[in-house]
Amino acid sequence: MSGFLSRLGWIVLAILGLGLLAYGLDQVGLEPISLLEAGLLAMTPLALAAVGECVNEKAGVVNIGLEGILLITAVVGVWVAEQFGSGIAGLIGGMVVGALIGLVLGLLAVYGRADQIIAGMGLNLFALGFTPYLLMSLWAFPGIHIFPRELMVPRWITPLGQISPVTLAAILLAFLAHILLHHTVLGFRIRAVGEKPEAVDVAGVRVDGLRLFTSVLGGALCGLGGAFMPLAWFGGVVKEISAGRGFIALACVVFAGLEPLLALAAAFLFGLTEGIAYAVAITPGVKERIPFYFVNMLPYVVTLLVVTLVIGRRRFPRTIGRPYTRE
Amino acid sequence: MRRARPLLESLVAVGIGLIAGGALMLPFRYHPLKAYQALFQGAFGTPHDVMETLAFATPLMLTAVTFAVGVRAGLFNIGAEGQMYIGAIGAVFAASLLPLPPGLHILVATLVAMICGALWSLVPALLKIWRGVHEVISTIMFNWIAFHLATYLAIYYLAEPGRAERTRPALPTARYPILAEGSTLTAVIFVAILFCLAVYFLLWGTRMGYEMRLVGENPEAARYAGVQIGQALLWSFLIGGMAAGLAGASQIIGRPPAWSLYATLGNVATLGFDGIGVALVGRNHPLGGILAAILFGALQHGGRFMEYHAGVVSELVRAVNGLIVITLAIPELWTLVRRRLTL
Amino acid sequence: MGPRIEMRGIHKVYPDGTVALRGVDFRLGPGEIVGLLGENGAGKTTLMKILSGLLQPTRGEIRIDGRPVRFRNPADALRAGIGMVHQIFTLVPPYTALENIILGQEGSNLWLVKDRARDQVQRLLEEVGLSIPLDTPMELLPIGVQQRVEIAKVLYRGTQTLILDEPTSALTPLEVDELFRFLRRLKEGGRSIVFITHKLREVLEISDRIVVLRNGRVTGEISTREATPELLAEWMVGRAVVPRVSRSPHPPGEPVLIVRDLEVIGDLGLPAVKGVSFEVRAGEIFGIAGVEGNGQSELAQALGGLRPIHRGEILLDGKPLPALTPIEAYRRGIAHIPEDRLRFGMALNFEVAENSILSRQWEPTFLRGWGRLDWPRILAFTAALLQRFQVIAPGVRAPARSLSGGNQQKLVVGRELAKEPRLILAVHPTRGLDVASTAYIRELLVQMRDAGKAVLLISADLDEVLELSDRIAVMYEGKFLGVGPVEAFTREEIGLMMGGIVPQGRAV
Ligand SMILES: Nc1ncnc2c1ncn2[C@@H]1O[C@H](COP(=O)(O)OP(=O)(O)O)[C@@H](O)[C@H]1O
Ligand SMILES: [Mg+2]
Repeated sequence: MSGFLSRLGWIVLAILGLGLLAYGLDQVGLEPISLLEAGLLAMTPLALAAVGECVNEKAGVVNIGLEGILLITAVVGVWVAEQFGSGIAGLIGGMVVGALIGLVLGLLAVYGRADQIIAGMGLNLFALGFTPYLLMSLWAFPGIHIFPRELMVPRWITPLGQISPVTLAAILLAFLAHILLHHTVLGFRIRAVGEKPEAVDVAGVRVDGLRLFTSVLGGALCGLGGAFMPLAWFGGVVKEISAGRGFIALACVVFAGLEPLLALAAAFLFGLTEGIAYAVAITPGVKERIPFYFVNMLPYVVTLLVVTLVIGRRRFPRTIGRPYTRE
Repeated sequence: MRRARPLLESLVAVGIGLIAGGALMLPFRYHPLKAYQALFQGAFGTPHDVMETLAFATPLMLTAVTFAVGVRAGLFNIGAEGQMYIGAIGAVFAASLLPLPPGLHILVATLVAMICGALWSLVPALLKIWRGVHEVISTIMFNWIAFHLATYLAIYYLAEPGRAERTRPALPTARYPILAEGSTLTAVIFVAILFCLAVYFLLWGTRMGYEMRLVGENPEAARYAGVQIGQALLWSFLIGGMAAGLAGASQIIGRPPAWSLYATLGNVATLGFDGIGVALVGRNHPLGGILAAILFGALQHGGRFMEYHAGVVSELVRAVNGLIVITLAIPELWTLVRRRLTL
Repeated sequence: MGPRIEMRGIHKVYPDGTVALRGVDFRLGPGEIVGLLGENGAGKTTLMKILSGLLQPTRGEIRIDGRPVRFRNPADALRAGIGMVHQIFTLVPPYTALENIILGQEGSNLWLVKDRARDQVQRLLEEVGLSIPLDTPMELLPIGVQQRVEIAKVLYRGTQTLILDEPTSALTPLEVDELFRFLRRLKEGGRSIVFITHKLREVLEISDRIVVLRNGRVTGEISTREATPELLAEWMVGRAVVPRVSRSPHPPGEPVLIVRDLEVIGDLGLPAVKGVSFEVRAGEIFGIAGVEGNGQSELAQALGGLRPIHRGEILLDGKPLPALTPIEAYRRGIAHIPEDRLRFGMALNFEVAENSILSRQWEPTFLRGWGRLDWPRILAFTAALLQRFQVIAPGVRAPARSLSGGNQQKLVVGRELAKEPRLILAVHPTRGLDVASTAYIRELLVQMRDAGKAVLLISADLDEVLELSDRIAVMYEGKFLGVGPVEAFTREEIGLMMGGIVPQGRAV
C-alpha cells in the first residue's frame, strides 16, 4: 500500500508541476480550462488501453500490441461509423474489433504458447502496414480520411468545460477494473493465475479461460480507445493516428504496477502533457518562440522521465508473459 | 538437418504470411495471385530489378542486426528506427557540410552516422542498466523524440536552400559509387554486408560476443561466469546503434537519386521497424539477416510494381511482414508442421 | 472389499517424445497407505499426475469402484475425491493461507467474501488436527507450514484419496515424524493415501503396501510387512546394492579455507548467514547438512564470489581474500559446482564446448589476440574433458540441451574439477540425478579429497553428507548448530539439529 501511496505522490507532484507550467502558460495567454479539456481528451485512449492491460498483465498475459490495436480500431471505427451513420456505432465497432484482436492474441498466447512480446510486436508491425492499406482500400485516399462532422460523438457541456462521454466511461472503467481485481471472485482468480497458474489449475479453475477473458477485455478497452481518437477527438483518421500512444499506455501500466487506478492517474498525467503540448503549439505568442517540434517531444520525454524516476520496486506477477502448460 | 530446420521454419512462416496477406486482398476485390505475380516479377524480373531489390535490402540487413544483437543479449531493442533517423541526420551533416577530400569524406560521413546512431542508443542503454527501464518503452520513446528532432534539424538547419521538402544533398565526394548505370544500388551494400559479417564474427568468435550471448541465454549463469552484465548490455545497444546509424547513412550517401533526407523522413521511415521482421525471419543471425533482407527487399521493391499493376497498395507488404512475425512467435506451429511432415 | 481405485495399462508419452510410463497397473484400496517408490525419473510423478487429472494418459484406463472414468482436468479428479499435493507446491505466494485454501471454492460467485469460508476452513483444520496461521502470506511461511497449507487445500475439497509427491524432501526429521503421525490419523479416518518417495526408510515406515517403479514400469509390489530394504533397492535400481563410495581413512593436511564469523545478507535484505566460522583442510571433505533455505545457498554464493560479504573474513591458504568476484575466486583456486546447474551452471542452448569454458571464457588459454576465442584449442579441451569425466554427448558442438541431466551435471562437475582448484565448493552436486551418475560424482569428490584437495560439500541429502564427509556441520537459520567429525554424531542427533534443537551435551 505504501508503494501505492508513494506512486500516487509522484503523480500528484508531477501534476502539480504541470499545473505550475499551465499557470505560466496562462500568463502568456493560454486558457487552463481548454488545457484541462485537452488533457482529458488525450488521457482517454491512454487510460482505456492501460486499464485493460493492467487486468491482462495481472493474469500473466502481456500485450505489447496495444499500439497496433489502437491503429486498426481507429480506422475500423470510422468505417463502421460511416456504415451505420453513427459515431456511437463506430465506438462499438472499435470495441468489437479490439476484442477480436485480443481474442486472437490470447489464443496464440494460451494455446499456441506464443512468445507474447514477439507476437505483440508482430501485431504492431502488421498495423503499421495494414492501416494505410485500409485507408487506401476503403476511401482511395492515401494516409488520411476526414469523415462528416455529424458522425462525431458529441461532447457534454459542463460548467467546467466540455467532456466526452467516452472520457467518463474510461474513468468509470478504471474504477470498475479496480473493483473487479480486488473485490470479486473473478479478480481473486485473475490475480492468482498470474502468480501461480498451477494453483488455479489444480483448484479446478480453467487457466485458459481466465487468460482468454482478460485478453479479450484488454483488447476491447483498447479498441474503444482506438475508435475514440477519430470519432470523439480528432474528427479524422491518419495512418499514424496513435503516434506511440500504445507504448505510452504500456508505460502507464509499468508505472502503475498493474493497478488500474494508478494507471488512470498516470494516463491523466501524460494526457495533460499532451494537452500542454497541443496548447503551446496553437497559442499565439508562444508558438513562435518554442519550435513546434520540441513541443511535440514533450509527451515522450515526460513518459520516459516519469518511468525512470519511479520505476523502483514494482512487483509484477511471477509468470508474466509465460505460457502455462501442464506437460 | 540442424541448420536446415530454422531455414524451413522461416520459409513456412513467410509462406503463411503471404497467404494471409492474400486473404486480406479478397474483401477489396483485388486478385491475390495476380498481385503476387506482379510482385515477384517486379522484384526479380530483370537484372535491374534484382539490383533494386538489393538496394532495398541494404538498410534492412542493418536494422535487422540492431534487433538481432539485442535479442542475442536478451534485449528487445526496437530503437533502430530512431537511431537510424539520427544516423541519417549525422550523415547529411557530414556529407553535405564538411568539405573533405574524396575517399576520406565517405569514410567520415559513414563513421559520423554510425557514431550518431550509437549515441542515440546510449540513453536507453544506460536507463536499462542503471534503472532497469524496459527497453521497449525507452526505445519507442526515443524513436518518437528522434522523429521530431530529425525533422526539426532537417527543416531548420540542413534544408536545401529554396527547397523545404528535403535536406542539402551529399557532396559528390561523400557519395558511394553507383554500381550500374540507372540503378540505385551503390557500393554501400558491401559495407553493410561487411558489417553483418563483422557482427557475426564478434558474436561467435570473440570473448565479448560469447559473454553477450551468455547474458541473453542465461543471465544468472553469466554472473556466475564473472561476466559484467551491464557492460555486455551496453555493447549490445551500441553495436545495434552503429548498425542503425549505418542504415541511416546508406539511405543518404548510398542511395540515389536524392542523396539527401526528405523533411518527412519518408525515405528512411519504417526501415527500422521492418528490420525486426527481417531479423526474426533471419533467426536473429546476422547472416540469416542478409538473406531475409533480400527477401524483404524483394517484397518492398516488388510491392511498388504490384501497386502499379494490380492496384494493391504497396503498404500491404508491411502488413505481411507483421503477419510473418506473428507466425514466427508461435512455437506450436512448428510442432504441427513437423508432425504433418513426418506423417 | 475390492480396490477403490484401479489404474490399468497406463502409458504416457510426453509431447517431446519422452516415454515416461510403459504400461503401469496400480490400485489403491480404502484406508490404505501405498508407498510409490522409485528413483528419479522412474515415472512416479507422472503416474500420479494422471490419477489427479493433471495429465492425460496416452493409453490405459482408470476405474473407480469398478467404473471407468476419464479425468480431463484436476476438477474432475477432485470431484471423484482424488487430490494431490505436488512436490513443487501449487500455492500463490502473495496470498494468505486462507486465500490459498479457498481458491476455486470461494463460496460465492461474484463478490469475494473471504470470511464466509473462514469458519469452514477452521473447522476442517481442527478436525484433522493441522495448525496453520491463516492470515500470513505464503511467501513468509516456512516450507513445513506451506506443506500443511497444501494438504489443507486438498482436504478442503472433500478429498478421500490423498496423493503426496515426495513430501519429506524439504522437511526436518522431526517434521517428517509429525507428518507421518498426521497421515496415520487420516488413514484411521478412512482416507487412502499414496506416498511417493525415493527413500527406502520412509516407505518402510509409513506404508501398508509398496509399489516400485523403474523406467516407467512396475518392477515389484509387496506388502510392507514382507519387504526388506535389499529387495526394494534391487527393484528400484535393478542391482542388488546401491554402490557406496568407499572412503579410506586419510590424514587431513593444512587448512585451505578458513572462514571467520562470516555474515552474508540474503535476498530479502536480512542476514542469511549469521556469523559462521569453520575451516576446511586439504584432503578432507567438510559437509554441511541442513534443511534447504537455512543460509547454505548464501554461504556458497559468498565463497564463490557471487554475493558480497557483510562481515567476517575468509582466508584461503592463510591469506585473507578481498571482496570476491567469481573470476577472482577462480584465480585464487576455488572451483564452484553451483547448486542448480540449469540456473547457474550452464546455458542449455550453448554448445557443449561453449559450456565447457563457461566461467573460463576470459582466460588467456582460450583466447587469441584481440579477444578472439581460440576455437581449435577450446574444442580440443572439451573433447579431453568429455573423455576424462565420462560425459556422454552427441558431440562437442551439440547443444547442451541434448545431453541427459546426468551428463549435463558431469560436464559441469568436470569443468570445475579441471580447473585444478585448491578448494572445491560442491553444492547439491547430485540432486535429481540417476543412481549411476550420482555414484560417479560422489566418487570424483572422494578422489579429489584423496588427491589432497579441500572439499566443501553442501547438501540437503543427509545420507550424502554422512557418506562422504570427514567432518560435518549442521546449519540452521544461518548458524552452525554442531561441528565435528562425522563419527561424533548419530543420525538422530543430526536430525534434531536440522530442526533447530541442540541435543544435550552438544555445545556449538
Ligand atoms: N513435462 C515433461 N516433458 C517431458 N518429459 C518429462 C516431463 N516431465 C517428466 N518427464 C520425463 O518423464 C520421466 C518420468 O518423470 P517423473 O514422472 O517426473 O519421474 P519421478 O517422479 O519418478 O522422478 C523422466 O524421464 C522425465 O524426464
Ligand atoms: Mg517426481
